Amino acid sequence: MRTGVVPSAAYHDVPYTRGGTVEHREVGVLVRSAVDGDAAAWKAIVEGLGPLVWSVVRAHRLSDADAHEVYQTVWFRFAQHLGRIREPEKAGSWLASTARHECLKVHRNARRLMLTDDPNLLDRVSEDGTPEQSLLDAEEAAARSESVRRLWQEFEELGERCRQLLRVLIASPPPSYQEVSAALDIAVGSIGPLRQRCLRRLRARLEARGAT
Amino acid sequence: MNDRNAMDDVHAVDDATDATDDAGRDDGVGTGLLEEELRQAAAVLDPLPPALLQVAVDAYALHDLDARVAELTFDSLVDALPVRGATDVPRMLTFSAGEVTLDVEVSAQGLMGQVLPPRPVRIEVLGGPRASVALTADDMGRFSAGTAPAGPFALRLRTGDEVVTTEWLRA
Repeated sequence: MRTGVVPSAAYHDVPYTRGGTVEHREVGVLVRSAVDGDAAAWKAIVEGLGPLVWSVVRAHRLSDADAHEVYQTVWFRFAQHLGRIREPEKAGSWLASTARHECLKVHRNARRLMLTDDPNLLDRVSEDGTPEQSLLDAEEAAARSESVRRLWQEFEELGERCRQLLRVLIASPPPSYQEVSAALDIAVGSIGPLRQRCLRRLRARLEARGAT
Repeated sequence: MNDRNAMDDVHAVDDATDATDDAGRDDGVGTGLLEEELRQAAAVLDPLPPALLQVAVDAYALHDLDARVAELTFDSLVDALPVRGATDVPRMLTFSAGEVTLDVEVSAQGLMGQVLPPRPVRIEVLGGPRASVALTADDMGRFSAGTAPAGPFALRLRTGDEVVTTEWLRA
């Protein structure tokens, strides 16, 4: 179960911007088109919402192997249910909530295995294939890489609740609060205030470290 | 971390509205910018692996309007108490689609199960858009495979002219 990690690639030109974005109001239209056999619509859905599913999986701190399998399971199930989803415009929430449930199952299973033989439960995010090589070409890039790495490290060391919320919020394209709510099972109304608080906390950590 | 100068951030607007919590004096622009920096960091340090993007694109092939979906109605991982100290506890799953029930047990020894009401059916163990293993259920509806599915799987049953597929799950 721990094998078959798909190698990541090509970090240097990873788009984080809105390329391939699915506007949320368009999701319903795309889902209906995909039901009718439009493969391009399906691809647009995957490109727009795949990062959200990935963020939810990462927010739950799964090992790489588990994360990959949960990600696939969610999309296989979505394809299977495509024509039966009652509110196509909420496909993002459907995906986020399905991902959350599968992540929780992984944790349950892990707790069980912990009684026996698995010391690698909380596999940290793998350091394999971190993209720093591609950023180290120039000095400027190196400095930038260092600041990005520092930011990420402080983020990783935030309290679990904040880390989880922010990891979902920073999916690209940014998810709607409805989707965040489905991903973490928290009320939509509490997301804004929590987000503020967590980002302030992160900034305070960075300032304390003199990283600003 | 220049958190006070940039005004052109996408979240500046909604920050202005939700920055009233806590002390109520936080500058929303700063947190919005910080969120965007974090988003960029995630895109560099923890991006969706391109191979996974492709897997999801290919998953469109699993879209099948003609198959009935047998929903998961029991999962020992969720619905049963853990057996303390027991090693290799099989995962028990039950799927239902109308009158058809499918009991499945997955363990290190493999996969076995039974279709109810009993009937001889052809069964495929699907492992993704392309991979599948063919099995046959006997007159009692029983079937087995010597290897457990690694990763996501679903069972596709063909009985008469009907096709039933179990919800995708991770073994």
